[in-house]
Amino acid sequence: MQSVLARSSALRQNALKTSVRSFASSSARAQAVPSEKPVLNKQFKIYRWNPDEPGDKPTLQTYNVDLNQCGPMILDALIKIKNEMDPTLTFRRSCREGICGSCAMNINGQNTLACLCRIDRDSGKDTKIYPLPHMYIVKDLVPDLTLFYKQYKSIEPYLQNDNPPADREHLQSPEDRRKLDGMYECILCACCSTSCPSYWWNQDEYLGPATLMAAYRWMADSRDTYKAQRKEKLQNEMSLYRCHTIFNCARTCPKGLNPAAAIAKIKLELAAE
Amino acid sequence: MSARYSGLQREVFSLYRRALRMAHTKPAASRPKFELFVRYTFRTRAACVSPRDVAAIEYLLRRGRRQMEMYEDSKVRDCWVSAEMLQWGEQNRGRRADSRQS
Repeated sequence: MQSVLARSSALRQNALKTSVRSFASSSARAQAVPSEKPVLNKQFKIYRWNPDEPGDKPTLQTYNVDLNQCGPMILDALIKIKNEMDPTLTFRRSCREGICGSCAMNINGQNTLACLCRIDRDSGKDTKIYPLPHMYIVKDLVPDLTLFYKQYKSIEPYLQNDNPPADREHLQSPEDRRKLDGMYECILCACCSTSCPSYWWNQDEYLGPATLMAAYRWMADSRDTYKAQRKEKLQNEMSLYRCHTIFNCARTCPKGLNPAAAIAKIKLELAAE
Repeated sequence: MSARYSGLQREVFSLYRRALRMAHTKPAASRPKFELFVRYTFRTRAACVSPRDVAAIEYLLRRGRRQMEMYEDSKVRDCWVSAEMLQWGEQNRGRRADSRQS
């Protein structure tokens, strides 16, 4: 009995010794604190408006963000602010890689996607973030896009063909497919429409560059047989001809598309009739 | 009564009238609830903004119209009223009777 006890205490001592030794012999370098990056504070001025207090006016709120503790894009900074400083900040975001179009906003005077816009590393200049211009605001950076989607719906953005091939899919030649390049990539972020002065003043009647490009995308599609009806719908003063080739849409498009060119092609087709 | 109202005031009235008409189309069982909801929402929202704050009133009008579009759907057959609304309804019972008489 005694021998067993003695053995167990010896074991315990042994274990203690090894653990102490491993701690004492670990190198000093492994314990050193990693060198911190210097603090690089930048001011973000963000449009704030709360619908629960409709009497209050919208304000610009300033946030200081350490750029060395933050991702490279504006969206990273917004998410950091929401997570760490102010959970009431409201904005739309989803894919964080420029394919969903949710985070469209006005950054330093330019409509763009927050997830595709790099933060300017110059800490002397502040970055101003507003919602898309000339839209009704739901809250903070969230615009009301109901009308925009209604307009998109009104052009019937789907394939319309009365006699589809009986036993297989619609076929399309590579040339015909190539006509859709530069249009099918549109993600409907509404950056172009909300940058267009014509759209600002005639939102209710003018369809706007995004919708018109979608309309032309279906007019140019070789599989679609409703081309005449689609043209007929645009043949009036307001829907199409409010485009005065200002080209703000092409300049601002975060996907690098050119809605103005598509509108020009629609105009050409309508004029050629 | 020939009071002349501004365009904005008339828009507010027409929204309220539209809301009350909406309440009238609902099934009899839930109609008092809809009426209370409409009156409470209208009165409290109206009281929370200054009559000179045109932008805020326009915002509330837009929001109200949005809500109406949903409530006017015939599939909406019931609505929920909070204790706060019921209490408000008790307090403002007389006001409603007055407005009916006039």
